[in-house]
Amino acid sequence: MSEALVRTDPVSGLDFVSEGVRLSLAGPMARFSLRARQPEVLEQLLGFKLPRQIGAIQAGAACLGPDEWLLRAPAGTKLSLGSGLPVAITEVSERSVCLIVEGPRAAEVLAAGCPLDLDRFTAGRATRTVFETVEIVLLRTGDNRFEVEVWRSFAPWFRTALETAAGQLR
Amino acid sequence: MSGFRLDQGGRIDRSQPVSFSFDGVTYQGYAGDTLASALLANGVMLLGRSFKYHRPRGLLGAGSEEPNALVSVTRGPGRFTPNLRATSVELHEGLSATSQNRWPSLKTDFGAINDRLGMFLPAGFYNKTFMWPRSFWDRLYEPAIRRMAGLGEAPTEIDPDHYGATYAHCDLLIVGAGPAGIDAALEASGTSKRVVLLDEQDEAGGGALSDPALWKWLEESLKDLAAAPNITILRRTTAFGYYHDNFVGAVERLTDHLPHPADGAREKLWRIRADEVVLAQGAIERPLVFAGNDVPGVMLASAARTLLQRYGVAVGRSVALMAAHDSGWRDIFALARAGVGVAAIIDLRESVDAALLGEAQVLGIAVELGHSVIDVHGRLAVKGVTIARNDGAGAALLACDALLMAGGWTPSVHLWSHSKGSLAWRDDLGAYVPDQPNEAVRCVGACSGKWSFGSGLVTDSLPTPRDQSRIKAFVDFQNDVTAKDIRLAVREGFKSIEHIKRYTTTGMATDQGKTSNLNGLQIAAQALGRPVVDIGLTSFRPPYTPQSFGALAGHAQGALFQPTRKTGIDSWAEENGAVFELVAQWRRARYFPQGGEGMLAAVNRECRAVRSSVGIFDASTLGKIEVVGPDAAEFLNRMYTNPWKALEPGRCRYGLLLKEDGFITDDGVSARLAADRFHLTTTTGGAARVLNTMEDYLQTEWPDLDVWLTSTTEQWAVIALQGPMARKLLAPLVEGIDLSADAFPHMAIREGTICGVPTRLFRVSFTGELGFEINVPAAYGRALWERLIADGAAYGITPYGTEAMHVLRAEKGFIIVGQDTDGTVTPYDAGLDWAVGKKKPDFVGKRSLSRSDIVAPGRKQLVGLLTDDPTVVLEEGAQIVADPAQAVPMTMIGHVTSAYWSEALGRSIALALVAGGQQRIGEVLYVPMPDRVISARISGTVFYDPEGARLHV
Amino acid sequence: MRRQPPQWRIEMLLIHCPYCDEARAEIEFAYAGEAHIVRPPDPSLMSDEEWQRYLFIRSNPRGRHHERWRHIHGCGRFFNAVRDTATDKFEATYKAGEPRR
Ligand SMILES: [Zn+2]
Repeated sequence: MSEALVRTDPVSGLDFVSEGVRLSLAGPMARFSLRARQPEVLEQLLGFKLPRQIGAIQAGAACLGPDEWLLRAPAGTKLSLGSGLPVAITEVSERSVCLIVEGPRAAEVLAAGCPLDLDRFTAGRATRTVFETVEIVLLRTGDNRFEVEVWRSFAPWFRTALETAAGQLR
Repeated sequence: MSGFRLDQGGRIDRSQPVSFSFDGVTYQGYAGDTLASALLANGVMLLGRSFKYHRPRGLLGAGSEEPNALVSVTRGPGRFTPNLRATSVELHEGLSATSQNRWPSLKTDFGAINDRLGMFLPAGFYNKTFMWPRSFWDRLYEPAIRRMAGLGEAPTEIDPDHYGATYAHCDLLIVGAGPAGIDAALEASGTSKRVVLLDEQDEAGGGALSDPALWKWLEESLKDLAAAPNITILRRTTAFGYYHDNFVGAVERLTDHLPHPADGAREKLWRIRADEVVLAQGAIERPLVFAGNDVPGVMLASAARTLLQRYGVAVGRSVALMAAHDSGWRDIFALARAGVGVAAIIDLRESVDAALLGEAQVLGIAVELGHSVIDVHGRLAVKGVTIARNDGAGAALLACDALLMAGGWTPSVHLWSHSKGSLAWRDDLGAYVPDQPNEAVRCVGACSGKWSFGSGLVTDSLPTPRDQSRIKAFVDFQNDVTAKDIRLAVREGFKSIEHIKRYTTTGMATDQGKTSNLNGLQIAAQALGRPVVDIGLTSFRPPYTPQSFGALAGHAQGALFQPTRKTGIDSWAEENGAVFELVAQWRRARYFPQGGEGMLAAVNRECRAVRSSVGIFDASTLGKIEVVGPDAAEFLNRMYTNPWKALEPGRCRYGLLLKEDGFITDDGVSARLAADRFHLTTTTGGAARVLNTMEDYLQTEWPDLDVWLTSTTEQWAVIALQGPMARKLLAPLVEGIDLSADAFPHMAIREGTICGVPTRLFRVSFTGELGFEINVPAAYGRALWERLIADGAAYGITPYGTEAMHVLRAEKGFIIVGQDTDGTVTPYDAGLDWAVGKKKPDFVGKRSLSRSDIVAPGRKQLVGLLTDDPTVVLEEGAQIVADPAQAVPMTMIGHVTSAYWSEALGRSIALALVAGGQQRIGEVLYVPMPDRVISARISGTVFYDPEGARLHV
Repeated sequence: MRRQPPQWRIEMLLIHCPYCDEARAEIEFAYAGEAHIVRPPDPSLMSDEEWQRYLFIRSNPRGRHHERWRHIHGCGRFFNAVRDTATDKFEATYKAGEPRR
């Protein structure tokens, strides 16, 4: 075997800085889609608690639907797949990339294409939504900080859209 | 030359002169002027030509209701905007505007011949005249009408500007920053409510801007609002549409008013969701209907007041007023007090408020009560008017150079109507006012019918002793509709205002009938002899005023027009000269031309490489769904046509997906990874649809099943390695997988590593050759691709695109769903009987396969088609007939779905859907083309290696 | 399916998702046809006419309409709604499996 394969990101790793906002690409991480009718079964398998309310984040897991969580964990994290149990654990580490939008005007940049009322989408919340016609998972990790999960093929479009919106702030 | 600038007054900045041009002539105005006020200050009364009769027109209004003064503004190459209202164009240094709808010039316009032919151009003229003979339409009528029709000219270049867009949420949205809107905002200031106050003008204030007595109040109020942290004021922002659930669309104009705009969006689309909306849109003064009411210099009294108070411009030196309402008196008093000469006040009413008469007397203004204007003299400008008593007697000439009209007020209920609020008729106002809301909305101020402008007499048109059928008394100025057109429509049998509107086109111009609707309605009611409320009211539709396409598109232009999805390997394809095509939203490499090759040569070379050695193909766009849970096999068994429960882990199966109607909707090869885990693939374009359909069944029909679906399309990069050398190339790179034919047969899957990264390795083939589809985590796709290209050089590895992929699969008779099927093809029609689990009690679509139409003979079936001349490649979509000698229209019995040059066979091949095709193998059919008829023989669908010997190696 | 026209629309409605218990913009949702049409447990027992009715016949009323929506760009759930087809106003939304309202 010759040298190992290198990763390629769909968008630049360089930060984009504009008036009151910074865009950056989060580093690699492990991502899992967790599904179960009974969260207890997953919790027993994983060894930690899952948030029960749609939109809540707890221990790196965002509750996206009544039986769905997106778990984000350090790169390389492996999970038991729970074979035979009434659960579904699917690794989706490379399905999306995470763009970080932060700064006092971060919400304004996202409002350019996201129909959510971001004033009422407070820190600690997460949801699947859209930016214009592109689906995203939006996590508010601080008053002035959002993390946006976007499928990798949409990432170049999405990043350009965010940069355009940030550049138009006056 | 009538209008002029007064020595003092107005809100313009006289210390800042501004040069601008109109129709190539340079003029000077001041900062704070509009194009309209500055032109009038320069004595320019003639601002446009009307739409149908090309009549000379001047200003009617002073705001966004203006129907006449439409101009085009050029801001440099590609920045040409037609149909702007001169009253809404802010003046700036270097502004370059031109008039419209005239040739060769505004003063001498050839199209004005229409005006003299006017008696031959009544309502419905186009509908009646250009009916016959039919052949004249294409050659004569349409080209002629096209030359004459339309407002302004469409820009011819791509718009180089860019546009912004945003969503906004607020508790209270106030539309209109006149006194009522400002009061509503002040009331909410300092509360916890998020308030947005927007106004279409450059300055907040609305009607207060035309009333110096309110300026101090205005200044203080705006200061208070600016200091309130919960209030956002948007100026130059038009709320153009009011949609469901308090969703209001607005456009903010950011740069057009600047002489040298910095980089930035020209306009911004605001998509506002409000908990509550307050409409404070005000009211628009109504013109009066009489002969000559469109001569330049005849305008709304309120417009003259605005020009005076806001811009310091007098509309004439000798101004007359034709009033039916008190408000006009106050307007002309303001003119008189500012030193403007007043010719007379003519009022339709026999008596008016004594206070008004007293003030007229103090100001020395002659008053004619119970009189009406019956004619206006002058063509390009008012020279005088003829007035007469309302009984027609006592006609007299009155010299004047401007005539103001005060016909009462129309509340601006446009947005209220967009929101589907109901309206109530008020006889005293002669207008509809907001009644019951349909959203969380209320109207305040003049748009609710509450104003302090005094009272008036409601009239449909002024009395005249002249023959009503021979005078042009305009109702809709922009669409050139006269009172007599409306009366004609009624005489011809139109009874509903909706029909009258469409027949006469009244209210259908870009101004949405802001100044004309109620006059038109009352004339129609009068002609029908019925109350106004009986004949209905036409709908107002968005936009309130015309908006640019750019603003509506927002940032969806250029690179952001629509997301173009790219795989991780796309960048390599681009660097290596691929020609791309769009498949759904994906950009896919179609072929990789080398050294100036055309498509056919490149595709032939790519196909040869796959058949002789090894080709490499980016299949990452394939839809992928991971199906996981104890009931996974049961679920797939219900969804797909074929049986899945017995599929062993490590094996793959071709799956065919039907809709309940029995027609093919998608297909793909899927693998069982474990007892409770499957890796499905779908077509590129069908991925989202298939996932949605499966979720639908799972959530609503079979919620008891313990199985979950996760889209993994983007988790994996997929590289197809196809050709006899594929295994040799792959073997040294793979760990943990025995690639030998026995250990890893066709239609199997193995998990292991490749070049150190995890892989799901499929042994599958869409080409008929020994093949693998290597799935690796998407971030490693490009690196693995490059490694394979490098290591494959020894075998002459050749990247191939979707075009070669199509040829290779067609040689094997593999269908492309959506190309060889069209939503009316069953598995039996497609010759895929083998993929239907006939013993399964049920699957989605099974019941439909025994419907009478589906089992009836003569259905179109997929067959091969070999042209008699092997060099002729049929056209996809071409129709097929049995007898080329039959008369036209021929009976078509099918069509070509796929057709290619097959390099492997050295001839053309095609797939076709042909009625009863499977029974016609060997028959010769015909494909009539414009220049010839092509004969072809029906064959089976597998053209190459029918035994599959090349697969199982 | 090769090319798709650009998807562009003004999303207007505000729809209350009974799972998220939140009103969200229409653009997050997908319409999914008439509600309370249950797939027959054994389609093979149905006559052609019964099957045709199940496949193709829908009520299409003016006024109160029971229909399905999916919060496709949200929690992903299909749910039921009562909407007035003349006014577009939602009367209620409720979870799949709950009785008809
Ligand atoms: Zn939801």
